[in-house]
Amino acid sequence: MQTAKSQTFKDKTSKVMGINKEDALLTKSYIFVAFMALLLGGILGLVQGLNRAGLLELPSWVNYYQVLTAHGLILVVVLTAFFTIGYFYAGLSHTLGGLLPIVRKMAWIGFGLKIVGFVLAVIPIIMGDASVMYTFYPPMAAAPMFYIGLALIVVGVWMCAFGAFINVANWRKNHKGQHVPILAFFATGVFVLLFFGSLPVAIEVIVMIIPWSFGWVKTINVMVARTLFWAFGHTLVNIWYLTAVSAWYVIVPKIIGGKRWSDTLTRVVIIALVIMNITGGFHHQIVDPGISPSVKFMHVFMSLAIGFPSLMTAWAMFAIFERTARKQGGKGLIGWYKKMPWKDVRFLAPMIAMIAFIPAGAGGIAQSTNQLDQVVHNTMWIVGHFHLTLGMSVVMTFFGISYWLVPYISKRVLTPQINKLGVIQTWIWTVGMIFMSGSMHWVGLLGSPRRTSFTTYGDNATALSWSPYLMFLAVGGTLLIIGVILQVYAVINMMFFAPKGETEFPIAEVEENAAKTPYWTERWGLWIVIMLLVVAMAYVIPLTEFIVNAPPGSPPFKTW
Amino acid sequence: MKQTIYGLLLLLFLALPPVANLMESVMIIHMHMQMPMLIFTGFLIARIFQLRFPHSFDKWNSNGIPGIILFVIIVVYWTLPRSMDEALNEQSMEIFKFVSLPLLAGIPLRDSWKRIGTVGKNLIIILFTILFIGMGWLYIDSPVQLCNNYLVIEQITLGWGFVTTAICLVIYLVYTTFTDPSKYE
Ligand code: HEM
Ligand SMILES: [Cu+2]
Repeated sequence: MQTAKSQTFKDKTSKVMGINKEDALLTKSYIFVAFMALLLGGILGLVQGLNRAGLLELPSWVNYYQVLTAHGLILVVVLTAFFTIGYFYAGLSHTLGGLLPIVRKMAWIGFGLKIVGFVLAVIPIIMGDASVMYTFYPPMAAAPMFYIGLALIVVGVWMCAFGAFINVANWRKNHKGQHVPILAFFATGVFVLLFFGSLPVAIEVIVMIIPWSFGWVKTINVMVARTLFWAFGHTLVNIWYLTAVSAWYVIVPKIIGGKRWSDTLTRVVIIALVIMNITGGFHHQIVDPGISPSVKFMHVFMSLAIGFPSLMTAWAMFAIFERTARKQGGKGLIGWYKKMPWKDVRFLAPMIAMIAFIPAGAGGIAQSTNQLDQVVHNTMWIVGHFHLTLGMSVVMTFFGISYWLVPYISKRVLTPQINKLGVIQTWIWTVGMIFMSGSMHWVGLLGSPRRTSFTTYGDNATALSWSPYLMFLAVGGTLLIIGVILQVYAVINMMFFAPKGETEFPIAEVEENAAKTPYWTERWGLWIVIMLLVVAMAYVIPLTEFIVNAPPGSPPFKTW
Repeated sequence: MKQTIYGLLLLLFLALPPVANLMESVMIIHMHMQMPMLIFTGFLIARIFQLRFPHSFDKWNSNGIPGIILFVIIVVYWTLPRSMDEALNEQSMEIFKFVSLPLLAGIPLRDSWKRIGTVGKNLIIILFTILFIGMGWLYIDSPVQLCNNYLVIEQITLGWGFVTTAICLVIYLVYTTFTDPSKYE
């Protein structure tokens, strides 16, 4: 009872006084690393884009694939993991009345492990011993240090996941029978996925690859490794997506002065995404051997099943926009859109991110189809697809979040100048991504392969026909690097230089007269068991086949 | 009422020849997806019987034990390799599968599940955990083909399916034993 009382007191103080110093420092550190990763990764991206367009020949001491490995790893793992954790830890701190000291400590240990792991992984990349790209498919083999670094990053993420669970469990003990606040509920879902999704890749790296890269075992089962990788890789994608969705559902309505959409359905969407997610990994293996067509066909359903909650999301968001705009006097079938705060970067960036999700999701549905995927598999189309999904839908949402989160944790305010800068940045990024991702999609359809440094294949006519599109790619990339610089500048400014003041953590309320959310939505233990059942069902077929009917394993290769 | 209609529609969908053929072409999907889904259709269909004939259920299944025993018998019958094989070979057995799993397993399960109480539920889950480990061992370790219609590799896959399901059930049991919901709810 005592703790319960002091908890609620702390709840109130943190709502009034803003985030406490220690929690702020934690999130600040995570966010700072995330945006440094953006800067570094962006520069590497530009180098690649210019090279592919034939505009830049790399000096002899760097290799295209070295750059590509670093670009992938820095943006896919470092940027997203650090942002997600920093953002949700601020959310937990705000909605649960501060982090517990033990949880804060765990998040710091996780921070350290991830940084050490990242440094260990980067050293061999720089030395040219790990140009295996962020997917590190065996039988390509990097120096062992690279994999040890990756394993440490995973353990660091687990620290943060368990920290979040501890904090949520503690809150629930002190608030019996209450629903976990919605942002903390999102965080729970995300950390459940982070933990269970990274188990397969941890097994891949620790049990299979590390002994093999040291030469303790001679060969590796390539198909098992790929399957374990994508169980993680795909889950990571949906972790980003769920993080972005949390801002769309919870934050954006507040910024436009509206209410949150149905609390029950929001929680159901989260649970559905968590349960069905991991098995989606198979849509990255549509062209892989060893899985029978009928099993692949059934997996299309699993992938499309994930599409369903995504579509619900889109519908819900537009319903909120329309409702809010009409309340503020918006008129007409579509005229209401004028009432939206287009000049507020905290709205504009996530809004464009959501709009980008329409073509991005459509492309994803197309790729889930076997015959269509055969056309685009391993072409630049795929690179276009994930720059649209990740580089636009997710990253622009992160940008939008930064314009209130960074001032919030820094006890500063968003000035009109930085807001204006943000709006400009958003449009530059939008145009740049449309150019870059659009030309990537197109040139992929024409057959240009991904992960291939500049070549004309001996002036082959088809390859030459790709040139104009690749030029657009370079133009887009150049705009994007301008966007990166503006964004990083804005973050640094808001973190260290903007005027002092209080910034609100924007969390929308549920609609009045909303139905009560049923308590079964809180039964995470049950959802996790169902998720494990679904995963077991999905993976037992190909894994048994791969292991029982295994071909001779492969020794390591250094292909570069 | 709505539930009953959804149940019937799902049953109809599962019975469509292309759907049934696809699911039955893979041994583990046949047993671990088609059959549970058939039970689930019965679970949905049960609604109308509960609404229309509450008294007969109360009378015959007041403590849930007759219903749950019927459920267990039907389910155990369908985990036998022989019965699965026959469903593929004989039309009449296939029809019996589509009737028995919804009507004699799904409906009694729904009516009994609430009645048998926490102890009963956990006992049933423990029973199935043991059964699944046993079946898993049988299918993984059997040196010969148990079904005419499925290869040994499919059998091994099914065996691992049983074992992984059993592991999930154990995790559930551990979770319900070691967490105390009254601390949170
Ligand atoms: C300045 C902005 C960016 C530019 C110019 C850029 C450009 C490129 C280019 C040219 C490729 C290589 C295509 C190939 O040869 O296969 C690439 C790959 C990739 N990019 Fe970006 N990109 C940018 C931002 C981002 C962002 C923000 C993300 C994610 C957060 C991202 C994630 C990736 C990934 C995952 C790959 C694939 C790496 C691989 O195939 O191993 N990029 N990018
Ligand atoms: Cu995926």
